[in-house]
Amino acid sequence: MSDKRVYTDTGIGKKVERKFDREKVAGTLQYTDDLPFGKDLLYARPVRSPIASGIIRSIDPRKACAIPGVVAVITGKDFPYRFGLYLKDRNPIAIDRVRYMGEPVALVVATTEAIADSAIEHVKVEYEALPAVLDVEKAVCDPSVLVHPDLEHYKRVPFINPQPGTNIGNWFKIRRGDIEEAFAQSDTIIEEKMECPQIAHGFLETHCCIAKQDIGTGNITVWSSAQSVFAVREILAEGLGLSTNAIRVIAPPIGGGFGGKAGMTIEALCLSAALHPAIKGRPVKLFVPREEVMLSSWVRQAYIATIKMGISKEGKILGIKNTFYFDTGISAEYGANPVRSAGYTSTGTYYIPNVWTDSYAVYTNKPFGGAYRGFGLPELMSAMEVVIDIAAKKIGMHPIEFRIKNLLQPGLPTCTGMPMSEHALEKIIRKVQADIRFDEKEKPLREGFKRGKGIALAIKAPAKPADAASSAIVKLNVDGTAEVMAATMDMGQGAYTAYAQMVSEELGIPYDRIRLDYPDSATHPYDWQTVASRSCWAMGMAVKEAATDARNQLLALYAEYWKVKEEEIFLKNGSVLCPKKNLSETFGPKLQNGFPMPDGKLKGGPIIGRGRFVPEDVVNPDAETGQSPKSVVHFTVGAIAIDAEVSERTGEIAINRVVAGYDVGKAISPINIQGQIEGGTVQGISAALFEGLVFDAQGKLLNKDFTDYKIATIEEVDFPIESFWEETPEEVSPYGNRGVGEHSMISPAPALNNAVYNALGIRFHRYPLTRERIFMATHAKKAVTEDCYD
Amino acid sequence: MPKHALSFVLNGETVDWEVETNATLLQALRENGVTSVKRGCEEGECGACTVVIDELAQKSCLVLALEVEGKSVLTVEGLPAAPGKLHPIQQAFVDEGAVQCGFCTPGFIMTTYAFLKTHPNPTDEEIRHALSGNLCRCTGYLSIIKAVKTAAEALSKPIVAGEGGEGDVR
Repeated sequence: MSDKRVYTDTGIGKKVERKFDREKVAGTLQYTDDLPFGKDLLYARPVRSPIASGIIRSIDPRKACAIPGVVAVITGKDFPYRFGLYLKDRNPIAIDRVRYMGEPVALVVATTEAIADSAIEHVKVEYEALPAVLDVEKAVCDPSVLVHPDLEHYKRVPFINPQPGTNIGNWFKIRRGDIEEAFAQSDTIIEEKMECPQIAHGFLETHCCIAKQDIGTGNITVWSSAQSVFAVREILAEGLGLSTNAIRVIAPPIGGGFGGKAGMTIEALCLSAALHPAIKGRPVKLFVPREEVMLSSWVRQAYIATIKMGISKEGKILGIKNTFYFDTGISAEYGANPVRSAGYTSTGTYYIPNVWTDSYAVYTNKPFGGAYRGFGLPELMSAMEVVIDIAAKKIGMHPIEFRIKNLLQPGLPTCTGMPMSEHALEKIIRKVQADIRFDEKEKPLREGFKRGKGIALAIKAPAKPADAASSAIVKLNVDGTAEVMAATMDMGQGAYTAYAQMVSEELGIPYDRIRLDYPDSATHPYDWQTVASRSCWAMGMAVKEAATDARNQLLALYAEYWKVKEEEIFLKNGSVLCPKKNLSETFGPKLQNGFPMPDGKLKGGPIIGRGRFVPEDVVNPDAETGQSPKSVVHFTVGAIAIDAEVSERTGEIAINRVVAGYDVGKAISPINIQGQIEGGTVQGISAALFEGLVFDAQGKLLNKDFTDYKIATIEEVDFPIESFWEETPEEVSPYGNRGVGEHSMISPAPALNNAVYNALGIRFHRYPLTRERIFMATHAKKAVTEDCYD
Repeated sequence: MPKHALSFVLNGETVDWEVETNATLLQALRENGVTSVKRGCEEGECGACTVVIDELAQKSCLVLALEVEGKSVLTVEGLPAAPGKLHPIQQAFVDEGAVQCGFCTPGFIMTTYAFLKTHPNPTDEEIRHALSGNLCRCTGYLSIIKAVKTAAEALSKPIVAGEGGEGDVR
């Protein structure tokens, strides 16, 4: 291949067997809940608030404490620490006041899970109910009920902008050009409202954590189903006022994350037990059953968008005015950032010269909104891509031509002012248009159904602080195998497969001789988080550099040992060769034990390659205008089209076919990219068709298990997904690759919404598109309008 | 809670356990170190704890441990013929990219195992119906359908001498 003089059959772009799949199919991979801790292990169960808002008048644990096997009952006053990634607004156990139904008010620790489970019934808590605010628009306008009256005292990172005295946990703004003038110049103005509900991650493995304090040193070890060991460590250390090296975080494999295990989730709650004097250093396990995950863990934020657009008679969008309300529930500690992410992408995939955006995180007395695959963009685009279709229809333009006319072509400024990098979006749109036969009116395949096709574009940048860093180590072993230390959580996306391919690419070591292990903050070098579709890119930079560093050491040693030039040495499938001198040997003990050099001395020792990466030039957007020369590292774009048909009689939506393509820059692991596209597409369709948390008027969650909260089963996936990708290389990138893990989840919902409109002539302004709502709308339509807001 | 003696065949070997009368099979298996059965919901919705009891795929969270007295229980640990030698169904899941996080995988494989015994040449629709009690949030299911078909093909081929043998449970 290139000037690297490295040859491998298992490098980037090759089909390989994914790392850890064998353990997964054999059932031998141990997730957190599977780890053995022996008879010393204690079990924690939270007592949860039965009301959405109120004062805790008293907590009487005496009856619970008297139950044999109960070791301790911990309340918020025993653990008065506040935690949070971007904004420290979250107490693991409520102190004095409860803010949502399901909030922990006490934690029972017992010798068995069954004892803990029954003891929680015997902790007597008296509440004085307060008015709750559940409606996001009411929460914005009406400060009479404040979810966080102490908001001004909470610590935060500088780029989060809470508004004390209101329920606004973050306010992100874009101000560019003159929006009123743009509207005045426009020939057509449209203004539309779109809504998405809160949705659940639905990972199959619920949260689980074990925490233990060493009674000799006071040091803490945490085993947790977490996406990011270092984020957990830092958030715990900051919240508790401890040094980071007093805390070790180990993340066994996790059973799905989708953002729901990012940042710090239940670890502090578990630690409240492990650090309690009555526990005396025993390990404490906190397993969260399914219903309590739904009640008390992060959800995707509900979203209300009002989008006003001014369009010239030539079909150019001259201005856009956006108001986004994200329902962040009782905590914006993480949810504050999807608000930014949607805000700094608030012109979607389009170039719009005049932009006014207000994106808000709004506190309500509901479970807290956090990271979820797509991080604000599925919400944004499920509104934006519908509004684009509405606009195109209003001005009488083809929806795809309207999109292309206003496309954010390479070089044009995004809404933060940074120039868009190279991409193949137009080519992808044309391919999707052709493959779905967008312009062909086809007959429904089912009797009594109406058929329609819809398209939607997708865009997303990794959303993270400007200084999110990664590092990696590549160690060469005595037998020429390699170990890679990269603290990414491989939660199924296939990160370790990709990293092993990168190391194979750089060192010529066969893929199956390269090993990775799950993250441990005590042994792995630092990585910010496994989120934001950043790992294959950012950690990829570090892994590639570490492998290159190891190669350079190896080449220098061999050059001296063989008395040749480094440029004369080749690495090939686990061997080192110098064809010029007809020398070759397989990688072996010299890599570890040193080289007997011509001068008779031993030189070298274990070869350890080191790599690290932090983006050099990202500048957080200006607080007032949202402008930045480089607001994000890069954008990944794509398009999806859905061919669907709808029954007016039953409200059923049947999908015939999906075509989806993304510009991945470079496909490192094709098997994983296809997996990400298919998985995210179905997750997006599931959200569009079925998903939404439903609360009663008191804030009680009504659908808290998989019986009532439906996610797509295999029965619903009776259609093909034709996935493809383009490879327009990213400039700053290990191999030109860019993030793609989240993108497939972004636009299935609006594509489906557009398809349903094209089938029925009814525009749904709220998700999900359940059978019931379709049925009701088709029957109401005759009497009212084509718009359905119910 | 009083404990009762329980004797059954687990992955081909008779085991004698003491279990609490109200323990589910899921709890009993996990307490005895069989952790491939996962607690994803503990109420029969997700299928991550599926095992095969006397040829029938069942959710072990909905079966009391004492109900398997004298019966044969197969979990995914019981499938490989030898260390490193995967069962054709397991191999098909690896080959077709039907595994992502892996948490649901043992359950899918056990449902597939029982299903292919009665449906050696399944249609897509039969596969979807048979596996509809197992949830997967990662893959989007298409690769799982492919894996089941690939496994069915592999299983329909005669066993080559030297492969399979004593521990082969297909």
